[in-house]
Amino acid sequence: MSAAQVSAGLDLRWDAVSHDYGAANVLSDVTLAIGAGESVALLGHNGAGKTTLTRMLMGLVRPKAGTVSVGDWLVAKRRPDQMAQRVGYAFQHADQQLFARTVLADVSFGPQRLGRPVHRAIEVLAELGLDGFTGRHPYDLPAPVRKLVTLAGVFAMEPAVLVLDEPTAGFDRGLRALVIAALHRRISGGVTVIAVSHDLKLVDAVSKRSVTLEQGRVVADSIR
Amino acid sequence: MPVSALVGMEALSFRYAGSTTYALSDVTLSVERGEVVLVAGRPGSGTSTLLLVAGAYAPRLVGGAIEGGLSISASRPSIVFATPWTQLTGLCRTVFAEVAFGPASHALPRERIRALVGLQLERLGVAHLSTRDPATLSGGELQRVIVAAALALEPDLLLLDDPAAELDPAAADALYGLLKETAAEGVGVLVATPDVERGARVASRAIVLEAGRVIHDGEPAGALA
Amino acid sequence: MIGFRTGRSPLHAAHPYTPLAIATALLCLVFAAQTPAAIGIFVLAGIVLAIAGSSLGYVAKPALMLAIPTLVLLFILHGLLGPEPRHALGPLHVSDSGLTEAIVLGGRITAILFAFLTVLATVSPDRLVEAMTERRVSFGATYLLVSTLTLVPRMRRRAAQILEAQQCRGLRLGGSPLARIMALGPLVLPLVLGALAEVDEQVLALDTRGVTSGRVRTAMDPPPDSAAQWAIRWICVCLVVGAWAERVRPLLMLIHPHLYVACR
Repeated sequence: MSAAQVSAGLDLRWDAVSHDYGAANVLSDVTLAIGAGESVALLGHNGAGKTTLTRMLMGLVRPKAGTVSVGDWLVAKRRPDQMAQRVGYAFQHADQQLFARTVLADVSFGPQRLGRPVHRAIEVLAELGLDGFTGRHPYDLPAPVRKLVTLAGVFAMEPAVLVLDEPTAGFDRGLRALVIAALHRRISGGVTVIAVSHDLKLVDAVSKRSVTLEQGRVVADSIR
Repeated sequence: MPVSALVGMEALSFRYAGSTTYALSDVTLSVERGEVVLVAGRPGSGTSTLLLVAGAYAPRLVGGAIEGGLSISASRPSIVFATPWTQLTGLCRTVFAEVAFGPASHALPRERIRALVGLQLERLGVAHLSTRDPATLSGGELQRVIVAAALALEPDLLLLDDPAAELDPAAADALYGLLKETAAEGVGVLVATPDVERGARVASRAIVLEAGRVIHDGEPAGALA
Repeated sequence: MIGFRTGRSPLHAAHPYTPLAIATALLCLVFAAQTPAAIGIFVLAGIVLAIAGSSLGYVAKPALMLAIPTLVLLFILHGLLGPEPRHALGPLHVSDSGLTEAIVLGGRITAILFAFLTVLATVSPDRLVEAMTERRVSFGATYLLVSTLTLVPRMRRRAAQILEAQQCRGLRLGGSPLARIMALGPLVLPLVLGALAEVDEQVLALDTRGVTSGRVRTAMDPPPDSAAQWAIRWICVCLVVGAWAERVRPLLMLIHPHLYVACR
């Protein structure tokens, strides 16, 4: 099943979502809808609530109030490993997931868990210019390359929704261009993309809509 | 190599322990007081290694071997890495204590440390975070705290590896502006970054590395090509 | 597993050396004690320490989770499989000496758990660093002690991040025993590899902050001490010396009879 078929009909909704970490309110009554196949940039200063909002899509954070849904799935009724069938989440700090002895084995891990074609891992590695590293141990690679490997791992799972938290932090022009090209291909295929990023070049290149958060509220939502 | 250079390398090569390839090959460069030198290159080209060698952290702490000439007259190098969360001491529960840690290690008097820390927190725009636990900060806030900690050591040579990786554009501009001010105070600044455009705006010179070799050492515009 | 949490108890406010001294003294004393009654007193002392730290609820669960299985195992090994004479305990025949041994050993572990988990919950690592810095303890020794105390919370945080990342790649927790075993690799390996990488990073981070400068660090905010706390710590030392002197006195007979007679 291709990403385009999977994503058809999948929209994302946050309905009156609020959350706090003890004393600090992180999100206040946020209602937001993202349509299937949209490409959205989530903007705002550090601490505005962007990461908390996206983590709710995976069920990593359960809102204190409100509901979150991905297509016809209510996230509250699903585990994170179940949400992984629909949502690919690329963490800002990538190293916490690398464990395999080779880059190829690590990138294949996600597709194997989800029953997706494992040969896609090789294709994605080539797409991101990592085909020369397939047999290398991830921890032998420079930090930006390790981050690219974890992105490859997310892409190889062929999710219908991609959530990317600072995907190009630490990347030079060349690596950024590779990531932008990969995202364009997926957006053309109908994948919904949410990018949390301070990288304006990335945002300008891939996002058609931007949503700005400030102190846990949506303060702007516009077509770019 | 100028006598006044804080760091000088003459046909320097460096290999990490157990590696057959050179991370740096035949590098000749110097950094003087008051300069902001931009270091650019693809991942794996040796930019981070150059900083480690320039600050005398390699091979001393990371292993490996140097061939060629290296002279470091900087008495107080200070380094900032791209991953701020790896630079926390893990021993401090407040931002203030974290930034004070370095000066305290150098046995400065308490009042002087308090003044230094207060100044650097203000300059980096994180004074309002001084009582916060560093572990609770966002990536951008933490990165500014780590830069403040490096500056609180009153370095004569400041080495930075992608110091704005976690910052939003406005904060990144402010940080690079601060690097220019710091150089104007007589500090030698060596900054490696993939954000070449931003770095080139404040740099007086740019070095471009490719596969560990210097392919450009001169005008910052050369790094933009 | 627990770590430091803020609070206003007497132990939180105390100089960090004081709860450490009390817990260490309890550790030494509990090994000098030989009877269930004496051990019971020290278990009670551990619980009282936790109450003094306003941490009984926080500490009791992990302490008992570790202590109870240990007690059960000791009961089986010593109580049920121990030597004669035995007496009936319901349907079981329990060794008299074995049961005593199990209670003594299990009680020691319980007392130590309550005491040291209370120390973990009430002694702030940064205050301990400042206290040791003020006393001019070398940074190496300071770091060794403090990083040991904070190891578990740090590893726990990292483990939680790894768990999230792997779940987001489709790793399911639970399931058959084989599935659980297979899930260990992606969870444990990043933890170990990351911990090793963290050691390298910490060495660099601390070096860049001047810990190898060779100078005596400035204590920025040393915790206040008092004559009463000083006295408590010295009482702990005297109690330990006294308890162990009583235990080792017979051994002096082996060294020289006059020493034994002199110490009676």
